[in-house]
Amino acid sequence: MRTPLLFAACAALLVAAPAIAGDDKVPEMVTTCAACHGADGKATQPIYPHLAGQYANYLEQALREYRSGARKNPIMAGQAAALTDDEIHELAAHYAKQAGQLHTPDVHAAAPKAAAH
Amino acid sequence: MSKTVRCAAAALALLTAPAFAAGDGEAGRLKANTCMGCHGIPGYTNAYPTYRVPKLGGQSADYLAAALKAYKSGERPHLTMRAQAANLSDQDIADIATFLAAVPEKK
Repeated sequence: MRTPLLFAACAALLVAAPAIAGDDKVPEMVTTCAACHGADGKATQPIYPHLAGQYANYLEQALREYRSGARKNPIMAGQAAALTDDEIHELAAHYAKQAGQLHTPDVHAAAPKAAAH
Repeated sequence: MSKTVRCAAAALALLTAPAFAAGDGEAGRLKANTCMGCHGIPGYTNAYPTYRVPKLGGQSADYLAAALKAYKSGERPHLTMRAQAANLSDQDIADIATFLAAVPEKK
C-alpha cells in the first residue's frame, strides 16, 4: 500500500515540477499565442485549434515540427522559429493544464441528434 | 444598403463560403471509425517519436478539416495520417470534422 502511494507522489512531483518552474516566463510568451488560441487555450476563431487540455507532449511535438519546418504553416513557422526547447516545453505544459472542451471521442455513443437506445 | 456595403458583404461571402463544405455528422460518425483505432483510446501513444495522439473530440470543425487537408497535401508530415487522408474527399473531410467537433466524450 505504501509503495504505490510513494510512487504516485513521486510521479506527481515529476509531472508538476517543470510546469511550476516555468510559470514566471509563461504568461509573457502566452500573450502572443493568445491572439489566436486564447490565453486559456480556447481558440478565438474556428479555424484555430483549441489547445486547452490537449496532451502536452503532442503540443510539444507540434511546436517542434513548426520550428523545424516539417509541419508547414506560415503563421506558426514564424511563431515557433525562435522558441527554445525549454520554452516549447513550458508553453505546452501551460496549455495542457488549462481546463477545456477537448476529449477522447466515443464513436460508439449515439451521435448528438440520434435517438438513445 | 449602400453599394459599398453590399459589395463588401458579397466579398466577405466569397471569402468565407467556399473554404469548407457543409458536413454531415452522422455520415462522419461512420467514416470516423478508422480514426478511433488511435484517437478513440485515451492516452494512446504515437511511437518514434513518442507523444500522445491528440484529443480530437470538441475540437473546432474548421481546424479539423484544415488539418486533414494539410495531411492530404503533405503540409503535415505524419506518415500514417497522410495515408489516412490521401483518399478522403472534401465531403468526407467535412463529415468527419463535423462529427468530431460534436462527438460525446468517451467515458
